Amino acid sequence: MTATTTASSSRKLTIARAMAEATAQEMRQDPSVFVMGEDVGPMGGVFGNTRGLHEEFGGERVRDTPISETAFIGAAVGAASDGMRPIVELMFVDFFGVCMDAIYNMMAKNTYFSGGTVNVPMVLMTSTGGGYSDGGQHSQCLYGTFAHLPGMKVVVPSNAYDAKGLMTAAIRDDNPVVFMYHKSLQGMGWLGTEKGATVATPEESYTVEIGKAAVVKEGRDLTLVSLGVGVHHCLRAAKALGEEGFDAEVVDLRSLVPLDRETVRASVAKTGRLIVVDEDYHSYGVSGEIIASVAEHDLACLKAAPRRVAYPDIPIPFTPTMEQWALPNADKIVDAFHQMMSQ
Amino acid sequence: MQPNNDQRLWMYRQMVTSRHLEERIETLYMEGKTPAFNMAKGPIPGEMHLSNGQEPCAVGVCAHLSAEDVVVATHRPHHIAVAKGVDLNAMIAEIFGKATGFSGGRGGHMHIFDPTVNFSCSGIVGETLGPAAGAALSRKMQGKPGVAVAFLGEGAANQGAFHEALNLAAVWKLPVVFVIEDNAWGISVAKQAATAVPRNDVRASGYNMPGVHVADNDVEGVFAAAGEAIARARDGQGPTLIEIETSRLAGHFMGDGEDYRPEGEKEGLQQRDPIPRYRQALIEAGLLDEAADTRLVGEAHERVEAAIRFAQESDFLPPEAALETVFV
Amino acid sequence: MSTAITVPEDLWEGDNEGVITAWLVDDGGQVNQGDLVAEVMVDKAQYEIKAPAAGRLTIAKQEDEVVERGTTIASLDD
Repeated sequence: MTATTTASSSRKLTIARAMAEATAQEMRQDPSVFVMGEDVGPMGGVFGNTRGLHEEFGGERVRDTPISETAFIGAAVGAASDGMRPIVELMFVDFFGVCMDAIYNMMAKNTYFSGGTVNVPMVLMTSTGGGYSDGGQHSQCLYGTFAHLPGMKVVVPSNAYDAKGLMTAAIRDDNPVVFMYHKSLQGMGWLGTEKGATVATPEESYTVEIGKAAVVKEGRDLTLVSLGVGVHHCLRAAKALGEEGFDAEVVDLRSLVPLDRETVRASVAKTGRLIVVDEDYHSYGVSGEIIASVAEHDLACLKAAPRRVAYPDIPIPFTPTMEQWALPNADKIVDAFHQMMSQ
Repeated sequence: MQPNNDQRLWMYRQMVTSRHLEERIETLYMEGKTPAFNMAKGPIPGEMHLSNGQEPCAVGVCAHLSAEDVVVATHRPHHIAVAKGVDLNAMIAEIFGKATGFSGGRGGHMHIFDPTVNFSCSGIVGETLGPAAGAALSRKMQGKPGVAVAFLGEGAANQGAFHEALNLAAVWKLPVVFVIEDNAWGISVAKQAATAVPRNDVRASGYNMPGVHVADNDVEGVFAAAGEAIARARDGQGPTLIEIETSRLAGHFMGDGEDYRPEGEKEGLQQRDPIPRYRQALIEAGLLDEAADTRLVGEAHERVEAAIRFAQESDFLPPEAALETVFV
Repeated sequence: MSTAITVPEDLWEGDNEGVITAWLVDDGGQVNQGDLVAEVMVDKAQYEIKAPAAGRLTIAKQEDEVVERGTTIASLDD
């Protein structure tokens, strides 16, 4: 690999930089990879994840689009079916309402409708999450919405190492992959960056396998399962519980489709207790799916009824007092564990 | 731009083939569905959108295309698929839901994909334009030959996708042609009740591209308009919008009572059926006589019949094959 | 020899203050000349700070600290 920057293994990247670096490395070795979306060009993406790409690859391969998500995501489907590997950005996942047909009726289904003879190797990257008072149309996660619909893989990194590896894997995948990055993990200071997401990231290209969860902290007494920013809440909660003498294991799902149920089940089989933490809405979502995956497999392994710390079933309020009250955090996870143990 | 004699006969043959296919499907579709119309019954269950009357749109455009060119068709795709040269056996088998269909029956009549001739379709109104624009972008970026054509109905011109895609194609000067088959009806709603302009080709001016209108379902009029548009696209001059005044001789879908049509409209359309008209024109031009016509029609029919037999004799995939090909 | 890492005078226009949003190398880490070592945010814009020389990094201004153009944020020692 090129060695223009530090050879130090301690080099850290933000998720934004990790995504851009993975994209650049793939674009250098595969001319079919290109990027399009709103403000992905000279601006480098509103959330920084295409920074430097326009400068290196030019406007032909790093395309600013009109504000026409239906057209350019539909165009990505057409280009992907014709030998290209487009990476398209839906700036906020909340905007899926104006273009979902291109995503779930074409991107996700054309392979199936063709009996596997038409590949749609594209990456749809989209920002998720709130916590910075952007209101109810710019703060949602919608993990469950996308993961519910068959035909597209869905990944949600919690740190820069996984973001780079998952991005490389997503670009190389012959199937459509939805890459959902949480705004507060991007390393953009104005979004209230979670420091734990900026981690040591190798410069050379590598992949993180799509569909594999990671046990990011081992423990014996409790399994905390989460994704994206929730993983950092869990790690803080695990630290607090450790001070109380409880040893929590933390599982970072990393992928929602395919879902690594085995890692979750193995962890709960060991600890007997499960709390799922999700910034997406409480009902009909990831938290329910994880609990069901454990319960339908082996109810007997559970020492207590599982719990979830998720976003209440309300539109996301603007005012900070309300929004912060509603968001999952480490204190809520600790409280949920206390309640579990008191029953 | 005038078709040569080979092209004339090719267009006529494709129209006859497509029409015979639709007429046979019409009969087969109704098997098991009477006296009570039950959509789930019979050898061809589900919705069925026949293209009778719209054949000039397909042949006039596809006469200028080869297998390497991309076509994205609508929920009413059979005439376009025939003209684009998809494998007829696999297409009819797909319509029957059989193992030998393009996707083994996972797609059905609204989801016909034949990548060997770059043909696909979408059952969602307005969702042909984006993928066609993207395929055109792909050709442009790769420096690969070929243009893309999106077919759509006149009702789709009121979808956001239409306006977004026209703008995108024009801004990026893509080698794509947008072909509106104006059959005057969006299911039961007349064009004038749904569309603010009498003709959609004028909307092209809003996107800085040529807009061309073809009147009276005229085969050679379509050929001429499409020929120019496709030549522009191949020459790197960007997209064109074409609206063709065509006719839907069947209902929106099989089982449509068509009570919404004004009295006498359908009879009038049938009198202007483009296939007998074109046959007459070819006879008058000295390209066809009764004997040659009988032979040509017979061959076309036998091609369809053979494909239907192939489909009927094919097996279904085991049901659990439904779990396959979600991902590759 | 010790070299200071300062916020370049021409990194952004105007007299606005910035905030260090990320150190991309740990305190005490070894860097090469030209390596990206930190990000500074001014309003919504992110600016890059690169190492002016090779050496061992000693961080003087931590993440979330306010800096101005010209502020010394770290030093590099042989």
